[in-house]
Amino acid sequence: MGAGHELLVIGMNHRTSPVTLRERLAVEGPGLAEEVRRLHDDADLPEVVLLSTCNRVEVYVGGEDRERTAQAVASWLERRAGEPVGDFLYVHHGDEAVRHTFRVASSLDSLVVGEPQILGQVKEAYAAARSGAAVGTLLDRCFTTAFAVAKRVRSETEIAAGSVSVSSIAGDLATKIFGDLEGRRVLLVGAGEMGEQAAKHLRKSGATLYVLNRSPEKAEALAADVGGHARGLEELGSELAQADVAIASTSSPRFVITPELMKGVIKARRHKPIFLIDIAVPRDVDPRVGDMDNVFLYDVDDLEQVAAENLTARRREAERAEQIVGHEVVAFEKWRRSGALKPTIVGLRKRVRGVLQAELERTLPRLGDLGDKERRSLDKMVDAMTNKLLHRAVSELKAGADTPDGEALVRTVRRLFDLEEPSAPAERRAGDEAVMKKLQPAAGRGKAS
Amino acid sequence: MLVTVLFALTVVAYAASAGLYVLFLARGTEGGATWAARVLGGAVACHVGFLVGNWVIGGHLPTDDIHQALAVMSLLVVLLFLIAARSRKRLQVLGAFITPVTLLLFLGAAFRRGVGPVPEGVRSALLPVHVGVNILGLAAFALAFAAAVAYVIQERQLRQKKLGGLMQRLPALDVLDSLGLRWVLIGFPLLTVGVVTGTIWAVRLNPHSFGLSAAQGFGLLAWLLFALVLLLRVAAGWRGRKAAIGTMLGFLCTVLVLVGYLLRGVGGIG
Repeated sequence: MGAGHELLVIGMNHRTSPVTLRERLAVEGPGLAEEVRRLHDDADLPEVVLLSTCNRVEVYVGGEDRERTAQAVASWLERRAGEPVGDFLYVHHGDEAVRHTFRVASSLDSLVVGEPQILGQVKEAYAAARSGAAVGTLLDRCFTTAFAVAKRVRSETEIAAGSVSVSSIAGDLATKIFGDLEGRRVLLVGAGEMGEQAAKHLRKSGATLYVLNRSPEKAEALAADVGGHARGLEELGSELAQADVAIASTSSPRFVITPELMKGVIKARRHKPIFLIDIAVPRDVDPRVGDMDNVFLYDVDDLEQVAAENLTARRREAERAEQIVGHEVVAFEKWRRSGALKPTIVGLRKRVRGVLQAELERTLPRLGDLGDKERRSLDKMVDAMTNKLLHRAVSELKAGADTPDGEALVRTVRRLFDLEEPSAPAERRAGDEAVMKKLQPAAGRGKAS
Repeated sequence: MLVTVLFALTVVAYAASAGLYVLFLARGTEGGATWAARVLGGAVACHVGFLVGNWVIGGHLPTDDIHQALAVMSLLVVLLFLIAARSRKRLQVLGAFITPVTLLLFLGAAFRRGVGPVPEGVRSALLPVHVGVNILGLAAFALAFAAAVAYVIQERQLRQKKLGGLMQRLPALDVLDSLGLRWVLIGFPLLTVGVVTGTIWAVRLNPHSFGLSAAQGFGLLAWLLFALVLLLRVAAGWRGRKAAIGTMLGFLCTVLVLVGYLLRGVGGIG
């Protein structure tokens, strides 16, 4: 791994690009390995991981040449999109790219912070790239560290605690009232989208669904859709008497469940607790019902309030997670820099000694016959000259091992003593500004850095 | 001396365990319940040592006086709790309510203002039966009480729509409700036998007095409360918060009976 070998992330996420564009760019399942191969071989990128989810399309590259890499990835994206994508792209490099990788894997960059799917998706992306032999030392280390960071974040912070969607909060609450939901009766009144989702969520936990609707056809259709039994609206009272959870999401302008109705229901159900979820706007359940004994009433505002609180709590935890990520980035960069240092010192010695040795060899014939003893003395002299010449340089390099200055010094030394790989273009550190100018036409979105 | 040391150790361990359980309930500290349970295990060991020491050294049988009875009962409460929490991990958190009750009962065992052992003249064959069933019954009620307190708190959280960690750590309402019912069902027949034997004994001691002492009065009140809770539960399908509050009041009455004994001594009840 050369001194200039660093991580680059080029891509777009839910904040920088519209979903219509990401849809076209998305690479799924078996296509992943194929596209990684295309980037690796055809675009000639040394190390590539391709991450494609519904919220992000990102290419992770380990390489030397920032500008060429960014252009190769951008043109790959543009070919797939069939339009310029520069407006929507961000480019991260060096420790910012490493930080980005860790944040993505830890679900800190997700639309819903702390959501659990992203880690699996990153792992899949990594596995696909590995199977295509597109992963080298840098990406390997970077991604395996990212998985460990994600695990740390998950266990050391409460970033994934508390549900943040209305339907899963409804499920949590039902569990807190009834314990096990296996075999419980859930009544769905009306055909609202959110109500349907909540009902499906409860069914997954083992509850049986009953669907009530004004029109029998609609009830049948909905029951088939959510996997429940259809009932007519006239059975509301008797169904409420048997249900454990009732989700109301009708479009009725008046209260459907009134205190008068519930009084009879509570009697009929012998005070068994009931959980009423009112997702309708305007509301279906008279709020006075919520004051009755053994009735637990939550309306859509309550559920959204809980969701907002949980999200706030997650954000607070996210700040702690960012600190963990920060420490891990520093540790990773330390590893990476030390990786570049050793070959530089070895290369430097080799180069200087080589020059001295070559000059010595050229002069030797003119010195006449020399014995073995004299030859050995001359060899020793070359060694001593090399050490003395490089003493200061080597100790400076070592002293700066973990700092950005040290990294700059390594690059300078490599350039001064011509230690770069011969293929590397001389002006390659022309700067990110140049890269970004090419990727981002006039209306730059200012997202990338 | 040894017995005193064991007593002190038991008190300290119960207090520490109670603190850990409450901390776990309030904050959800990682592994908090496990540590609380370990300390509680230590407390139980000291407690058993204390009882055996009292028995061997002091020659007191558990049914001899109110202090011994309390010491045995508090141990029983913990043992019942540990058994229940072993099969259902979610009940561990109830330790936050059980351990303080246990600690208070155990401290009651050392409260020496009342008279010592039951005087010879008052003893009868009924005494061990009376004390034994009451010990068992009250231990069951102590657990029902803990479940009821947890129920009332959990119900409040749900009604006030506070879905914080406290709500997450407490068991589900339905679980607490049926737990409360089960323990009251176990405790009630025992208490019934306890009240009947107690009354027979009191009447025998003092056949001409028909007045009720305070302790007897509270005993009867507790019995009535539990009878009412059970009757309403079974007949009217009563449950939830009202049943929980009834259970709590019933247990508090039984505790008042104990306080009466502790303050006035068994000899004073006639």
